Amino acid sequence: MNRLVDNARVVAALGRRSVRQTFRRPQLMAPIIIFPSLLLAVQTGGAGRAVDLPAFPEVNGFLDFMLAGAMIQSCMLAGNSGGIALAVDIEMGFTDRLLAAPISRFAIVLGRLAGTAALGAFSAVYYVAIGLIFGAQIEEGILGVLLMITFVTLAAVAFGGIGAAIALRSGSASVVQGLFPLVFVIMFLSSAFFPADLMLQPASAIADYNPISFIVEGVRDPVISTVTGEGAWQAFASILGIGVASLGLSSLALRHRLRTGG
Amino acid sequence: MTAAIAIGWPTVAVLVRRAGNELVRVPGAAIPGVLAPTIFYLGLTAVFGNLTQLPGFDADSYQSFIIPVSLLQGAGFTGAATGVNLARDIEQGWFDRLLASPAPRPALLAGLVASAALRSLVPATVLLIVAFAVGAHWPGLLGLGIALFAVMATGTVAALWGCTLALRFRTQSAAPLMQAGMFILVLMTPSYAPQELLQGWLQTVAEINPVSQVLEMARQGFVPGDVTWAETWPGLVALVGLFVVLGAFALRGMRRMAD
Amino acid sequence: MAAIEVRGLEREFEGGIKAVCGVDLEVAEGEIYAFLGPNGAGKTTTVRMLTTLLRPTAGSASVAGYDVVSDAGRVREQIGVALQEAALDPLMTGRELILLQATLHRLSRADGKRRAEELLERVDLQDAADRRVGTYSGGMRRRLDLASALVHEPRVLFLDEPTTGLDPVSRKAIWSEVAHLNREGATVFLTTQYLEEADQLANRVGIIAGGLIVAEGTPAQLKAEVGRPHVEIAIHDGEVDRAREVVARLGKPLPPKDGLVLLELEGGATQIAPVVRALDEAGLTVESLDLVEPSLDDVFVAKTGRHLEADEAGAEEAGAAAEA
Repeated sequence: MNRLVDNARVVAALGRRSVRQTFRRPQLMAPIIIFPSLLLAVQTGGAGRAVDLPAFPEVNGFLDFMLAGAMIQSCMLAGNSGGIALAVDIEMGFTDRLLAAPISRFAIVLGRLAGTAALGAFSAVYYVAIGLIFGAQIEEGILGVLLMITFVTLAAVAFGGIGAAIALRSGSASVVQGLFPLVFVIMFLSSAFFPADLMLQPASAIADYNPISFIVEGVRDPVISTVTGEGAWQAFASILGIGVASLGLSSLALRHRLRTGG
Repeated sequence: MTAAIAIGWPTVAVLVRRAGNELVRVPGAAIPGVLAPTIFYLGLTAVFGNLTQLPGFDADSYQSFIIPVSLLQGAGFTGAATGVNLARDIEQGWFDRLLASPAPRPALLAGLVASAALRSLVPATVLLIVAFAVGAHWPGLLGLGIALFAVMATGTVAALWGCTLALRFRTQSAAPLMQAGMFILVLMTPSYAPQELLQGWLQTVAEINPVSQVLEMARQGFVPGDVTWAETWPGLVALVGLFVVLGAFALRGMRRMAD
Repeated sequence: MAAIEVRGLEREFEGGIKAVCGVDLEVAEGEIYAFLGPNGAGKTTTVRMLTTLLRPTAGSASVAGYDVVSDAGRVREQIGVALQEAALDPLMTGRELILLQATLHRLSRADGKRRAEELLERVDLQDAADRRVGTYSGGMRRRLDLASALVHEPRVLFLDEPTTGLDPVSRKAIWSEVAHLNREGATVFLTTQYLEEADQLANRVGIIAGGLIVAEGTPAQLKAEVGRPHVEIAIHDGEVDRAREVVARLGKPLPPKDGLVLLELEGGATQIAPVVRALDEAGLTVESLDLVEPSLDDVFVAKTGRHLEADEAGAEEAGAAAEA
């Protein structure tokens, strides 16, 4: 029990460090907050007439539709940023300092993910606030907001695990950074920015099965309609699936690094 | 100033050659920047392709409509990368070597910026090949020429923006500002839809954003209608204006390096 | 005409930080002048002002007869510069770098190629000339840096800590090259934190601390200011008092230390033989005898109250702590 408590304290301390790192360096906030916000603003203004298309879901405005996509994009980028930060720690030798300490090995990864989760929660609150300020209406009210924040926070952990796995395996910040465009590819092939039915093929077909679509829909439902059991379950299952896979990959990558020293 | 540039032509040439090293000698590093505009192009087409069904959308092919957006974004990324490279050179002390030489400052700046104009043709070429493969309209030689000119000129302007920030902040941490600045400037135009279909604040911003004129100039050949002088000259004026303003800022930044 | 003339030079940074607080100096043509001081003393800031990379906030300076502010372009034509960081492009080859420098100094292509060959041979990099700089060792990078500073045969050469971080062999190679350049007529202004470097190379040394020159002169003059050499003699059988009496007439006795006899020698090393003879004639056996000269560090201590070498160690420790 003591060990569990000790590990939790280590995870919390490392999590606090990773949050502090992000807030002390404004350029690390750019991919999480600034960039998706600007994209949200431009896409809402640029493609907003899409709500007039037949078969577009009933919404109060295009912003209501787009909000979920911006939130998920933000937490995917937060996961990528967390991976870059972990890779920089490896390059700098800071990770060696942690490994030389009497702490659980996996706490190093969990600490980074705790920080990413905190940033995910922060970005979720931020986007809800921005949405409300600019006229979005959240149909499910406070409970809907809480569900959105929960999904986004958990998704941030899941995506953070992917970033961490790549950082641990490669030990290189520029490799993790090179995945930045991949985030957009995955987002484009989902219903993050547009209803899957109204996308062109084959993107439409891919979006129907893309787990990111399920997560986005899970976050979107409370905004534009009501939460359904099926929608929420699909979102949760997708997050869980990605999370289990990414944490598994992180664990393998960590073991590889410990075994080979690099 | 003209005399300074005339004396400095060999300097410009050697700096352009040096800038090409990174593309030729570390091609892997250039791949993300070269492919990103194409990835965005395919993504935006796949996602928003059915916007052409909206009444008032005066293009029948979204693949064709959105090409100039991705072309200019590619030019913007390339120009921003020039600024990031300059910031790195300043941080690592390499730029001091150039500043301590008798090469005229305008020639040093011209060398940095000229390379961006040429390098921005690389992502543009990849994009156009892919765009035509997925069914974008052939713009005709004149339309293509104007589009490529817009790419090179935008790359130059973006490089001046990047260099201005690099000379001001002298650190690679300013990179996101360089990249995001150009990215957003290109999007705050009739990028996703024609001007008449834009909504709210974006409609106003797009009207006054000079890059909108450059975009429309580059778009002519790809959408129905002829390539005309009336659609071309506003883009040229916008480019000249941006070049003069940003060039002045960049030169001033260069001179202030000793402050 | 002095090669370098500096009057009341000052440089203040944002936040009121004064890195250079009023430096006056003159370097004659053909001289090697060393600026000696610890990290943060103002050496690099001074060099950056003299090489037109930084504008002074007060005072004036001229290099090769041209003002560093109003005639900066002319100054750059006359100077060669190898700065503290051997800032080289890792993707360029050594040859390409020198050719680039030649172009910046308006040499023709033919002249540039000829100079590149000459310089690469001179600094012993001809075999590595077409390899990328990123594959070079630290010593090779410094030699390349030096070579590229010479491409246009400058009248005045500025070297900012040219051997920091190098192994002893590479350091000696750089010293040899600097001395050679000076013999060919170049004026050299170098900054260093190494006593031995200033001692070995410089005609004159300026000791800088806290942005001001605290002492200036030839190494011998500076050392003579703070004291004369002394011998430390270990006598067999420990007859220290008798030994002191014997040698007392040959110099100035100093307080003994650790059982050693200490004697200040007015005439320097030439007085060692008489001392040994006197001890021998008195039947005393000398176990060891060391001649201890005052060092530039002694000069630094006399002027600033701190050791130059302790400052270096302290700065290194502080740097290591900051990195951790």
